[in-house]
Amino acid sequence: MTRARIQLTPGHVLRTQPYRDTSLLVEAWTYHHGRVGLIARGSRAPRSRTRALLQPFQPLLLSWNEQGDLGALTGVEADGHAAALPGEAIFSGWYLNELLIRLLPRHDPHPDLYADYVVALAQLPSALEAALRIFEKNLLTELGYGLQLDDDLDPATPYRYDTELGPVVADSGDGDAYAGSSLIALRDEQLDDETALRDARRLLRAPLRSLLGDKPLETARLLRQIRKSRPTA
Amino acid sequence: MSVYSPRLARLIDALRRLPGVGPKSAQRMAFQLLDRERGAARTLAQALTDALEHIGRCPSCRMFCEGGDCRYCTPARTASGHLCVVEGPADLMAIEAGTPYRGRYFVLMGRLSPLDGIGPDELGLDQLQAQLATGDVRELIIATNPTVEGEATAHCLAEIARAQNVAVSRIAHGVPVGGELEYVDGGTLAHALSGRRQV
Ligand SMILES: [Zn+2]
Repeated sequence: MTRARIQLTPGHVLRTQPYRDTSLLVEAWTYHHGRVGLIARGSRAPRSRTRALLQPFQPLLLSWNEQGDLGALTGVEADGHAAALPGEAIFSGWYLNELLIRLLPRHDPHPDLYADYVVALAQLPSALEAALRIFEKNLLTELGYGLQLDDDLDPATPYRYDTELGPVVADSGDGDAYAGSSLIALRDEQLDDETALRDARRLLRAPLRSLLGDKPLETARLLRQIRKSRPTA
Repeated sequence: MSVYSPRLARLIDALRRLPGVGPKSAQRMAFQLLDRERGAARTLAQALTDALEHIGRCPSCRMFCEGGDCRYCTPARTASGHLCVVEGPADLMAIEAGTPYRGRYFVLMGRLSPLDGIGPDELGLDQLQAQLATGDVRELIIATNPTVEGEATAHCLAEIARAQNVAVSRIAHGVPVGGELEYVDGGTLAHALSGRRQV
C-alpha cells in the first residue's frame, strides 16, 4: 500500500485532544478528504508554533502523511482569518463541529458540505439560527436523508411532513402543520422571519434526532446548562 | 513479561506518569534514584506522601492549599475587590510571580469544552456566581487563554459578572514585551490591534 503525502489541502480543525506527552490528536475536516484524524507531534510542547494555528474556525492549509487510520501532520498554515465568532456564536460553531464528528465517518469526502460549512461559519455572527438550519438541511441531504422540498409547494397552503411522502396538504385545524411559505423558505435558504425559522427548527429536529440516536449532543447539553445558570433572559 | 523485576517495573511505571517522561527517561530516573541518590529518593517519597496528605483544594479559590488558611484568600486580598479568573494553577503562579497583582483568584481547573464534556458545572461557575453575589468583588478580571475555548469561557464569565452587577475586564493580548512586530503571528497582531488603547 502506498502511503499518500497530502500537501496543503484546505481544512478546518473540528476538535483537538491531548495525545501522548506533547502531541495533539487533531480531528480535521477537509475539502478533499472529508474528516481525518491527524497526529500533531510536539504541538503541546511549550512555545509550539503549530498549536496556536490548530484552533477551530480558522481556515487552514494542512499537510500530512497517511499512515493507516491516523495521519501524521507535517505542516499547517493559516489560509485567511479565523471566523470571528462572538460569545454565543462559538457554541453554535462547536455544535456544527460536533454534528460532523458524530455523523460523518472518517475518510468520506463531502466537498459540497465543506463549502456549506464555510458559509455557515461566516453567517453565524449575523444570522445564527438561519445558518444552523441551512447547514442541518444540507447535512441531511449529504447523508442521504434529505427533506423532500419540491418546486411545487404553495406558500399559502399548510402542510404536514410525512417521512415517506414528504409534504402532504394538512387538514384544516391541524395545529402541527407547517406553513407552505416556511417550507419554501427552507428550500430556498431564505430563512428571514420568525415563523420560517421556528418551522425549520421543528422540521429538522426529527430526522437529526433519529440519526443521532439516544446519545444527546454535548454542545446542546452545555448550552442548556449555561442558559439555566443565567438568572436573567 | 516485563524485563524489569516487579518492584522496579512498578517504580518505572509510576515515574512515567510524570509529564514528558517516556520509558527511557523513566528507567534512567529509577536507576539514578536507586543508585547514587538513595537519600534524595527517600526525601522524595516522604515529600510525596506528605503533600498528598496535607495539600487539598481551597474551597473558595480552588487553588491547591495546605491546612485551613489559603494564602491567596487573605482578608487583604479580599479588600482589594479584585478577583482574577484563570484556567489552571500554573496560570495563577505565573501571575503571582510575574506581576504585582495581589487580589484574589478563582481557578477554573479547565475551560469550557463541550466536545470533551466540560461545562459550567465542571468549572465551578455556580460557586463563582455565589462569590460574586456576596458583593465583596468590585472587578472580575478574566485571564483565560486566548484560544477559542478560552474566549467562550470568558464570554460566560462576563455574563455571570454582569448579572451580578460586577465590573468585568479581560487581560490584554498582544505583542510580547521586547518582541518585534514582524515576527508576531497574524492572530496575535489582530488581537493587539483590536485591543489598542489611547495614549
Ligand atoms: Zn483560596
